[in-house]
Amino acid sequence: MDSIKTEIVVVGAGPGGYAAAFYAADLGKKVILIEREKKLGGVCLNRGCIPSKALLYATHQIVNSRESAHRGITFAEPKIEVDKLRAWKGSIIEKLAGGVASLAKMRGVTVITGRAYFEGSNKLRVETEQGQQFVEYDKAILAVGSAPAMPKAFDLGNPRVMTSTEALEVTDIPENLLVIGGGYIGMELGFVYSALGSKVTVVEAMDAILAGADADLARPVVANAKKSFKEIRLKARVTKMATVGKQIKVDSEFNGEKLSELYDRVLVSVGRVPNSADLGLENTKAVLDEKGFVKVNSQQQTDDPSIYAIGDIAGGILLAHKAHKEARNAVENIHGESGIFESIIPAVVFTDPELAWCGLTEAEAKEKGVAYVVSKFPWSASGRALSFDRTDGVTKMLIDPETERVLGVGICGAGAGELIAEAVLAMEMGATVEDIALTIHAHPTLSETLMECAEAFYGHATHTFTKRKSAE
Amino acid sequence: MDVKLPKLGEGADSGVVVGIFVKEGDTIANGQAIMELENEKAVASIPSTAAGVVEKIYVKAGDRIGVGAKILSVAGGGSAPAPAPAVAPAAKPAAKKVAAKPAPVVEDDEPVAESADEIVNENPFASPSVRKAAREFGIDLHKVAGDESGRITAEDIKNYIARLMRAAARPAKVVAEAAPAAKPAPVSVDFSQWGPILKKPVTPLRKVIARRMSESWNSVARVTQFDDIDFTKLGELRKKFAADYEKKGVKLTLTPFVLKAVAATLKAHPIFNSSLDEVASEIVIKEYIHLGIAVDTEQGLMVPVIRDVDKKSMFDLAKELETLAAKARDRKISADEMKGGTFTISNQGAIGGAHFTPIINLPEVAILGLGRGAMKPVVRDGQIVARLLTPIALSYDHRVIDGGSAARFTVDLVKAFENFDEALVKI
Repeated sequence: MDSIKTEIVVVGAGPGGYAAAFYAADLGKKVILIEREKKLGGVCLNRGCIPSKALLYATHQIVNSRESAHRGITFAEPKIEVDKLRAWKGSIIEKLAGGVASLAKMRGVTVITGRAYFEGSNKLRVETEQGQQFVEYDKAILAVGSAPAMPKAFDLGNPRVMTSTEALEVTDIPENLLVIGGGYIGMELGFVYSALGSKVTVVEAMDAILAGADADLARPVVANAKKSFKEIRLKARVTKMATVGKQIKVDSEFNGEKLSELYDRVLVSVGRVPNSADLGLENTKAVLDEKGFVKVNSQQQTDDPSIYAIGDIAGGILLAHKAHKEARNAVENIHGESGIFESIIPAVVFTDPELAWCGLTEAEAKEKGVAYVVSKFPWSASGRALSFDRTDGVTKMLIDPETERVLGVGICGAGAGELIAEAVLAMEMGATVEDIALTIHAHPTLSETLMECAEAFYGHATHTFTKRKSAE
Repeated sequence: MDVKLPKLGEGADSGVVVGIFVKEGDTIANGQAIMELENEKAVASIPSTAAGVVEKIYVKAGDRIGVGAKILSVAGGGSAPAPAPAVAPAAKPAAKKVAAKPAPVVEDDEPVAESADEIVNENPFASPSVRKAAREFGIDLHKVAGDESGRITAEDIKNYIARLMRAAARPAKVVAEAAPAAKPAPVSVDFSQWGPILKKPVTPLRKVIARRMSESWNSVARVTQFDDIDFTKLGELRKKFAADYEKKGVKLTLTPFVLKAVAATLKAHPIFNSSLDEVASEIVIKEYIHLGIAVDTEQGLMVPVIRDVDKKSMFDLAKELETLAAKARDRKISADEMKGGTFTISNQGAIGGAHFTPIINLPEVAILGLGRGAMKPVVRDGQIVARLLTPIALSYDHRVIDGGSAARFTVDLVKAFENFDEALVKI
């Protein structure tokens, strides 16, 4: 039977997989990249990061136009053409996926479209449209990612019950939208739909929205969501859903009351599950954890020495940039260099306003018993933030009082996702808070909030006044 | 207020925590022993530098910590400045930790961490590219000094590698280190198959003792020379002056006599007061006489050191002995008080037994063991008389000392005991 031999095979062409394939090819390896979908790019490019950001950008325009009357500029009520919006979003994906494909071609990476199945530790079977294809390899890098979780109880087989995948398709604008799960996916899409005109209700089982971030950082997001959404219910639980005509009947418990309501659409955003089933991993020595993620060591190697795993499938934080770094590490280890993950992973939530952090959160510092001092700079003191009416932000630093090194940075505010990059670099370089305070930051920019936050630690930020402890 | 590991003394900047004497919630006094630290050749107790209630303990047994490492924090009381406000913004002095870095002078005899696990940088930080370079060379950043704040640059990594290479080029103690490698892997035997057993964990101090003894056993070419010394006169002198010493609050034992006699003999035979520096291929003869005294404690062997024995009076020696032995038994002895010995004395006379073969306390080259003295018939001037004879055993390192020298040392030592000058004992 037909069998191709290669040095490295990468299964899954998401941001982890294609990065691994390209890097391995750049290092002179013979590489095959297998993707079950026709378009490369994985969830990030097709059904995640990129389309959601496109929709958020588009819908921000609606919000901005509505909020400029007090500046003396008024617009007519926007006319929303959902089909055109979807097509524009699709064109972005098309461009990027095409870009990935041509980058693969330029590097001589062979792309096979089909489902991969492990026959053994060094052999894969790929089910392609043209039939079976066998691949024999020295090392495999597993990058098959994850998919939105859909609990059985919610899975009515009704397209009105959506995961993020369907929600990003924007089939229509539901009058009433229920979002189950107040994590970053639910909140980002909640803002998209609320800007489009849906009445959004968020139901969260825990007692906080965006629970991974410090509460003081999430506060501006929660405040804006409360203003924009119909309702946010904490410590609430959906018990049952049923199809009733063109709507979904949702039974829930909230505040000790049993509610029964009708929604036009429901977005289930309660987490993601690894795509580890139906891969033939049982024919290899790779081991899964109890949640179905593939276990790896610090070199990204699974229990099968021939198989590495990166990105969502390897567990940990499910973020594209973590997958990208793991891709580099896996390839370096295969290539005989030593790559281990010791990097700081920034987290960005593209809500309105954005929320981003890196290093330790205050909650983590408390839990770990790390000594820290907090310095905060409110955006109400930033001229740049005032100039575009977005003073609902805060820049916060956790500082080691002994060494004055930066332990963690959190930013909530417009453009926080871009601003966090400076903090990540500062932390990777082992910067002290004084290093940041002494660095000139251009005026007027939001980046100044980092400098002023650092200065506030010493009690001499220009645009805030902090009473010195010793003077009390 | 944090209690940090104080400077330990010459050339020592880290150690392994053997045990912690206090727990969170305890009230401690300034100077009170809070933990025990093993470093180089000593296990020593570390005193607290603050008083108050222990809030948090940051170290545990087995941790390797460096000078300046946080041991514990105390609240309330204290000899120290009032606790600083926990929340910023505190008024910070503008300039700090920014000492001028000396020009990088590459010195050939720059000390390189000898033992592979020497931690010189408690809290290293470096940029991603520097960390990657370190990883590729297999360098643990904790072993690279960096600047005062612990920051390591690419230059520091280069210098560290250069130093390692120079050290490797030197005639190192390869032979000594290679020997134990041949040791077979330990096997665990199930002794309960032959009868009831009781299991006890090996204490950290026991581990230290075991390691040092093995090191000595594996590297030293040891010979033990035996003799019996007539202690009759010493016994009489002791009895004669015991009361005088007693009046001044000091118990006169035979050990100060031993110290004086050994010190006098070492002066005449300086090779016994030396060390072998294998790295430099040199024999280092010490012009001071610091004698180690093996003390049997409940937990195990400890060796406090009495300094300048040749220059001290019998009374001072007797007094110092009492204090040091008590400190050792209470495990309150400091690291410095167990360092710098030039020769060791192990006196088992108070317990019993005759000749034994002591193991040399490296890096010293000889050790004197004394057994229990007993009345024995001996021939003196053609007559059989009863004399108090004490069995002695002198172990020496034959790499440094030859048999003839050892015999001559023993002869002079016997003389020093038997002709002990009464004037030295008088107070």
